[in-house]
Amino acid sequence: MRIMRVEKTLVSTNRIEGLGHRPLLVVREKPGGTPLVAVDAVGCVPGDWVICVGSSAAREAAGSKAYPSDLTIVGIIDHWEGE
Amino acid sequence: MEIMRVVDELVATQRVSGLQKESLRVLENLKGKLSVATDAVGAPPGEWVITASGSAARYAMPDPSVITDLTIIGIIDHWEDDGGKTDG
Repeated sequence: MRIMRVEKTLVSTNRIEGLGHRPLLVVREKPGGTPLVAVDAVGCVPGDWVICVGSSAAREAAGSKAYPSDLTIVGIIDHWEGE
Repeated sequence: MEIMRVVDELVATQRVSGLQKESLRVLENLKGKLSVATDAVGAPPGEWVITASGSAARYAMPDPSVITDLTIIGIIDHWEDDGGKTDG
């Protein structure tokens, strides 16, 4: 799993049905790093440091084995100062 | 998931049956790397899209038996490329 920081919500009105109503958030490992998109399974706000999981675990964390996610936020870190 | 831009459609008439009749798109990621994805939403060239990779790409397709490892799962309403690879 990886530590990342939530930047903002990513709005995609035209998206596949399988995503349901889960919010998609832009996350970065470090400021200026490449932004990735994660499914929010815990309810984060921009600025939170979070734990992201990938591969098949990302699907189950987002809802079901068939959920089309390859990166899901599974936890908000209580205290973490980014380098 | 990754953020990519649709460069163009890709036609490959001679293909394995596992790809069925899925339309293919050439995509460019934020670092300028090209890749090919199946398209589950019908994204036209020039649009910024969200892609799912690995086995999630197969579940993103209406028919998960399609053999893909990258699928476009949504078109981003608004995204500005903040530097990095500027393609002029």
